[in-house]
Amino acid sequence: MADPDVIAQLMARCALRDQRAFGQLYRHTSAKLYGVALRILRRGDWAEEVLQESYVNIWNHVEEYSAARSAPMTWMTAIVRNRALDWLRRPRFEHGSEDYDLLVEAVPDEAQGPEALLALGRDARALAECLKQLSGNQRQSITLAYLHGLSHGELAQHMREPLGTVKTWIRRGLERLKTCMETT
Amino acid sequence: MKYRNDQIREALAAEYALGTLQGAARRRFERSLKEDPALRRLVTQWQERLAPLDEAARPVAPPARVWRAIQQRVAPASRWNSVGFWRGIALVSTTAAVLLAVSLLTLAPRRETMVVVMSDAQSRPAITVSWQPRQLGDKRLRVRVIGHQTMDPETAWELWMLPPGDRKPVSLGLITTHETQTVVVPAQLQEAIDSAQALAMSIEPEGGSPTGLPSGPVLYQGQCTKL
Repeated sequence: MADPDVIAQLMARCALRDQRAFGQLYRHTSAKLYGVALRILRRGDWAEEVLQESYVNIWNHVEEYSAARSAPMTWMTAIVRNRALDWLRRPRFEHGSEDYDLLVEAVPDEAQGPEALLALGRDARALAECLKQLSGNQRQSITLAYLHGLSHGELAQHMREPLGTVKTWIRRGLERLKTCMETT
Repeated sequence: MKYRNDQIREALAAEYALGTLQGAARRRFERSLKEDPALRRLVTQWQERLAPLDEAARPVAPPARVWRAIQQRVAPASRWNSVGFWRGIALVSTTAAVLLAVSLLTLAPRRETMVVVMSDAQSRPAITVSWQPRQLGDKRLRVRVIGHQTMDPETAWELWMLPPGDRKPVSLGLITTHETQTVVVPAQLQEAIDSAQALAMSIEPEGGSPTGLPSGPVLYQGQCTKL
């Protein structure tokens, strides 16, 4: 992964319509963002489509980045995530729960969850520690929603629990996560 | 629509960042985000909190066709903002504009002068900037605004220089809409500006960019030419 300062500088040049800087930005970030899109969409052709839309969006709105006051990768990742979620939720692409059961079982690597994060930076460790303090159901519903873009309804079907229960896990889990991360 | 209750705002920001806020509620929330900076900050905080989960995602190089498709969509039909523009391909209109700029200058003959003709997206010259290279101490840019231009209220025009290489833009300060004006070059930039690749002007909030980098749309830009 490239240095966040390098990414921020390239983005500043993109704001001045420097297309060469945009090419470098793409080279530094596209593998990461394609990985994020693939994880949510599970299909290469969809992920390519979303990646393309996302970079056009990044180019067109890059001057808004400095107002976002977030890390450059977080800003770009949010664009990709939003595009991917929009794509997933177009009515004709609705999945049945069976698809998701298969999908989720087919990707054991991310099921490692908190442990995999321990090897990473300080922020990641804080998140991993706090995820561990949630109940198993809270942790599972939050990570499945984030990593694979599952909706409340899809989570309820996948976890075989009533919709209201899943919604409560997520809401309480997020509250606890925030409290925990503010104190570590 | 306004979300007034703090607890609700926090919960919606969290579920938006998580991805579980959907359908009409998501669209309504996105509309509120546009006009509610405090709400945007809550979302950013949640995005930052959850971002480490993305660090565990395996990077996968996308097929080359993705970049080709992106390039086709961002490359302009005209050449004004192409790579070549920044790398020194002269436009016919720029040449004409340089001549215009020269005619506008009142200079001692035979002295080297740096000239920048900043143009708009249609390559129409809008502002000329000139200065004496290698002059240190009291270095001033002569700025000439072409035609009668207006600035929107509560905005500012900020002048930027692009250093050579891929370094980030550096602010030269704010300018006005006055036809002729001078800008004193900050001491630490007096040498650097002689090797600047290009100048640009962006629209910023009153008082200039809050971030030290261009944060608003770039209205005019032009490459530096030594005459």
